[in-house]
Formats: sequence, C-alpha cells, structure tokens
Amino acid sequence: MDDSDEALMARVARGDQPAFRALARRHLPAMVGLARRILGNAAEAEDVAQEAMLRVWTHAPRWQPLAAFKTWLTRVVVNLCLDRKRRAPWVELEAAGDIVDPAPAASELAEADERERLLQAAIANLPDRQRTAIVLTYTEGMSNAQVADILDTSVSAVETLLVRGKQNLRRALGSFIDENK
Amino acid sequence: MNNEQLQIFLDSHGADPARWPDAQRAAMEALLAHSAEARALHAAAQRLDALLSRAHDAEAADDETAAARVLSRLGSLPHQKRPFWRWPSVLLDWQFAPAWPRMAALASCAAIGFMVGLAGFDRTLEGYQSSLTVTNRGDIASVFEPEALTGANP
Repeated sequence: MDDSDEALMARVARGDQPAFRALARRHLPAMVGLARRILGNAAEAEDVAQEAMLRVWTHAPRWQPLAAFKTWLTRVVVNLCLDRKRRAPWVELEAAGDIVDPAPAASELAEADERERLLQAAIANLPDRQRTAIVLTYTEGMSNAQVADILDTSVSAVETLLVRGKQNLRRALGSFIDENK
Repeated sequence: MNNEQLQIFLDSHGADPARWPDAQRAAMEALLAHSAEARALHAAAQRLDALLSRAHDAEAADDETAAARVLSRLGSLPHQKRPFWRWPSVLLDWQFAPAWPRMAALASCAAIGFMVGLAGFDRTLEGYQSSLTVTNRGDIASVFEPEALTGANP
C-alpha cells in the first residue's frame, strides 16, 4: 500500500483515522521541534503542534496537493506560531534574570549549559520573523526560496531577514561566537 | 566586492558554498582564494553558521516524548470540513452549535412573518389606509392651478 504523505492525506480526506494517526506519528516530532524553536516554549509548542494536526484532520477533504504535504504543514505550524507570538507576547525567562548560584564550583560545571543558554536567549530575543527565518534555514535546512514560500514572502525579503537576524546575533553574542571554534 | 557587500552575501546565503547562487559561486570562490580579509569574514561566517546549526540540539530528544503526548491528546477528532461542491454533505456536517440561539430567533421571525402574510392581516391594514383617503387628484389640481382671473400661481 502507498504510504506517502499524499496517499495518507487522500485517506484522511475520506475520514480514515488510522491514516491520520500514521501521518501524525510521522510528522509530529519535527513539528513540535520547529514550534519549540520558534516559540522558545515547549508547552506552547505542544499546543501549536496539536492545533496544526487538528487542522490537517478538519481540512483534509479540502486539501489540494499543490505543494508537498510537509511544506503545507510547516507553513501551518509557522503561521500558528507567529499568530501566537503576535497575540500574547510574554516576558522571556532569560530576560527576567537568574538567581545567582552562591557555589562557584557549580557555575564552572554548568559553563557549557550557560553558553547554550546564552545562544538560545540571543535567538529568542530576535524579532519573530528573523528568528523564524534563521530556524527554518539552519535547523530545518531550507533554502532561501523554501523559507520565502513558507513565510509567504519574497526571496529578497528572506535575505533581509537573515542579514538583520545575524547582525543582531553578532551584537548579542559578541566574542562568544569566536570561542566556539 | 567590498567587505561590507561580502558580509551581506555571507549573511544572506550562509558560509557553505553549496548554498550559494550558481551565478555568484565562482566569483566568490575566486575572491576567497585571493583575499585574506575575505577568508577571515568567511571563517567568521562559518563559526556563526555552526553555532546556529547546533542550537537547540540539547532539547531535540524531548520532541519525541512531546509528540507522543500530543498524539494521545488527539483521541477524539472533530467533524471534517467538506468542500462546498459537496453541498449536501456540507449541510449535514455543518456545525451550528455556537449560533443555535440566533438561528432559532431568525427562524421564529421568519415563521411569524409567514403566518401574518398567510392570515391576511397586512391586507386589512391596506384597506384601512385607503378608506382614510381625503382627497383625490382633482382636488390637488385645483389647489395648484393658476387663478382664473389674475393668472397668478398659488
């Protein structure tokens, strides 16, 4: 039996729940990860992934295979993430500051984690569309044309987002970039 | 190409030559071969790319667990939305739930209007209004006709 995304979607369109679950099992981990990277919040990422999969189910009878299923699903997840960020901006945990750990040995041990957190904070503080362009390019491995398709914009607009995003990251990270050879 | 233009190119397309546009790849590779400054910018771009590629890797293992949680929450699925060209099934599947009170009010108004029309209450009102007519066309004409003697308009 053909188990391509498009074949499964054809079955989902006829109300086939096992086909829907097979499709969800295949794509949910990547979609949860994508949403987490854009939103910077694991719980919200789960909500977005769930909403995206519900849209797959409810809209399946109307879905036309004009683009690859994964591209369409990625676009749904990205739009849900950007909508959520627009609707309810929250204060990032990193911006709230940390409680200082009195034990110096502990901070030495946690240096690697601290560097990872610094990087994630710099990415999280980028404007939403710049962060989304960077996540789609570097984590999802998409070309600028694919990112433009997902964000429903032009390739030159994506290039501008990447240029500005990296300028902001360089400002935020400073010498940290050179320490990570 | 000056350093600023090179930086913009590297930020737009990344440090990996495989991602560069075909039309510019050869020129960029020639520039890197001849300019130490260009090579330094390229090396810095490679470091930033490497950093961004491995960002969030630590949490990636949790995505499978999170996906399993989401899948378990998708137990009961709602009605699917049918395309409009399958209108009978669209009407059967239509979810009116939030609009029921407003739809009931609209249907009641329509039913009352239909009953009024059927009972002929509106015709009775028309007859009553016609019986109240106190003038006719001749009266109006006499009011607006010029005076017979002077020819002056009223």
